[in-house]
Amino acid sequence: MSRKAISVAALTALCLTGLAACGSESDDSAAPKKKGASQVAVKLVSGSDGDVCELDTDTAAAGPVTFTVANESAAGVTEVELMDGQKILGEKENLAPGLPEVTFTLTLGGGDYEVYCPGAAEERIPFTVTGEAAAAPTGGTAELLAAGAKDYTGYVNTQLDAMVTGVENLRKAVDSGDVAAAQQAYADARPFYEKIESDVEGFVMEGFDPTDNKGNLDYLIDMRASNLDEAVGWSGFHAVERDLFEAKKITDQTKKYAADLVTNATLLAEIGKSLEFKPEDLANGAAALLEEVQSGKITGEEEAYSHIDLVDFANNVEGAQQAYAALRPGLEKIDAELVTTIDARFTAVIDDLEGYKDPEALGGYQPYTAELKASDGKKLSATVQSLQDVLGRLAEKAATA
Amino acid sequence: MATEGKGFTRRRLLAGAGGGAAAGAAVGFLGGRAVSPAEASAADGLDLSKAYDFYTGDHQVGIATPPQRHLVFMSLDVVEGTTAEQLKVLFARWSAAMATMMKGNPVGSVEPSRSNGVPQDTGEAYDLSPASLTVTLGLGPGLFDDRFGLAGRGPKLLAEIPRLPADELKPELCGGDLALQACADDPQVAYHAIRDLIRIGRGLVTTRWTVLGFGRASAGKGQKTPRNLMGLKDGTRNITTDEDLDEFVWVADEDEPAWMRGGSYLVTRKINMDIEVWDGTTIDTQHVTIGRDKAEGAPLTGKKEFDTPDFKAVRDGEPVIDPTSHVALAASENNGGTKILRRGYNFTDGLNPLGQLDAGLFFIAFMKDPATFVDLQRKLGRVDLLNEYIAHVGSAIFAVPRAPKSGHFLAQELFG
Repeated sequence: MSRKAISVAALTALCLTGLAACGSESDDSAAPKKKGASQVAVKLVSGSDGDVCELDTDTAAAGPVTFTVANESAAGVTEVELMDGQKILGEKENLAPGLPEVTFTLTLGGGDYEVYCPGAAEERIPFTVTGEAAAAPTGGTAELLAAGAKDYTGYVNTQLDAMVTGVENLRKAVDSGDVAAAQQAYADARPFYEKIESDVEGFVMEGFDPTDNKGNLDYLIDMRASNLDEAVGWSGFHAVERDLFEAKKITDQTKKYAADLVTNATLLAEIGKSLEFKPEDLANGAAALLEEVQSGKITGEEEAYSHIDLVDFANNVEGAQQAYAALRPGLEKIDAELVTTIDARFTAVIDDLEGYKDPEALGGYQPYTAELKASDGKKLSATVQSLQDVLGRLAEKAATA
Repeated sequence: MATEGKGFTRRRLLAGAGGGAAAGAAVGFLGGRAVSPAEASAADGLDLSKAYDFYTGDHQVGIATPPQRHLVFMSLDVVEGTTAEQLKVLFARWSAAMATMMKGNPVGSVEPSRSNGVPQDTGEAYDLSPASLTVTLGLGPGLFDDRFGLAGRGPKLLAEIPRLPADELKPELCGGDLALQACADDPQVAYHAIRDLIRIGRGLVTTRWTVLGFGRASAGKGQKTPRNLMGLKDGTRNITTDEDLDEFVWVADEDEPAWMRGGSYLVTRKINMDIEVWDGTTIDTQHVTIGRDKAEGAPLTGKKEFDTPDFKAVRDGEPVIDPTSHVALAASENNGGTKILRRGYNFTDGLNPLGQLDAGLFFIAFMKDPATFVDLQRKLGRVDLLNEYIAHVGSAIFAVPRAPKSGHFLAQELFG
């Protein structure tokens, strides 16, 4: 195998061009060291058969390894990752010809790795680290993520319990016949489900066909006019909302809706106790909550009668933020740049929402009227979409850490 | 508009036009088409495998490139708070993506190997040919205000187009900090390019307005002159030679930033046509309004499309080509010899609230000095007979940087 020859040649080239210290502590066959870290240059170039991902050496001694990535002319490659099997240990994104080179440093134990250059003619380049197997290298990431996921399971259950209390209060208010009190109780009960809805959806009650909405807890709890299934009829939060905010009347049917909601919410809270989340579930859940904002709240579809869509919006975002926060310590180790971007985009969305706070209004936010949607919907949608896009990239990282 | 006070003259003129110069064209028309459909499509041959190189190191593609069949034009705003550094990365990413898509390749994976991966490329052009895709980037005046740290670095002639006579502009169809023009012989290829570029820019740019264009409405080098939705040949006297491009289109001024030299200025105007009204006018009115006949596209003083119009010709004491006809007003010889490169497309937005066809011409022009357009349109807006049937509802101007060489990106020196 010609690895040794390649490495020596590369080392010679480096000495000639003065890019690295020559004759330093590194042994002859591995990447040269600088300030204690082995130096590996990854060059992306356009070739006649597509883009090429070139390494100046394919081996390094165990310990810190710095990868310097320069995209010289490979238009089709915009990221480079170092993989250990299916795990991403480190990566650089937003690479494009003309941008300055970037570096990332990892502490690697002996073993076989791959430099992954998606889009290159040959995407996976083997990379070998010689010496001791990893003592305590990057392995902590997976544990951090797993710990975050465990904490988050507790959060979901707290919200489910709070939802049960909320809908019980709603039922009491509805039973009392006081429309104004029931409207308030409705707004008070909404936030909990909105914080976690994407984590607790998809449950079908035993004995029901999955295609039958009669046994679909999502439907029974959170159906709305836009997805009304005539075969099942109105149910849950929005059935109560319709009566309280459109007809502004409480009928026996309203009371039945409220009572059923308590039953179904309690059932969901029971199911919640058995749930276990993996890190990628949190990532997918966070992105899905933002999707809910985009498809249900900014359209004004979710709270068609009460117009408290911005309350739901704020709680979807808060739920996503909780899931993200649970992953953040681990993610920071994988892709600190992405973490910075996501932090900034959460801030942008939250700053946007801040402008709509109204302590006088039901739920604490301005009602999302047709006029507000017309004037502000575009701006809100753009900010949310920017956040959703980057959150969408988390699951892959969390799953492969 | 200009009809009042000229009624009598107009009638006489119409009679003259109908009986005179247009007769030659009528002969051609009655005698059958000048070019059979088969010949025409051969001359305009579509080769979907054709791909253009993005890295010309000189002029961006999509300007002198013979117009493709379809256009997607997107105007974008840069999000408040975006930094010059972020814009730099965006331009680099966009440049790389444009180059990749123009080769017919996806921008990243359509089918990620990891189940939790989100596809990077949206996929709708995955099996399609390059289809002569060109993507062209333009920078609007707003990019160089005080928001992004780029103030004072803009091209010197880049300024908002002033209000012009007969403007009926709608703010939501005007302006933009950035523009992306995608042209291709397959509409889905052009759409994919814009969609994926927006996606790459998400968080930094937001969409402002867009136009989907079809049936190019201007001829490029070697192309048969196409027709706009008025049924008129458009672009008969368009710029086609390298000499004219150098003289009128490419920025060469040493005072301009280095990244603009070899670039150009892009002016867009969304022009709605009163389709139903136009369709109800007589052929004489159409001749007089435009200054050419319809089938052949010959000037009213000539017989063939490429005959040079004689604006001095007089019949019965009246000019044969009305001085307020579109052709007379727009002709280079009546505008101090200046020319602009037109590269417009027909568009439709469906129906308007009155149930009428909402359609027209998305005028795109490239020039080395935007004043050329402003002066011309100031004149046209005032007296053009065509104004009776059209309304300029959208307007924008962009500086189009020179294309990078391989290894570089668009307007790289801007961030230097």
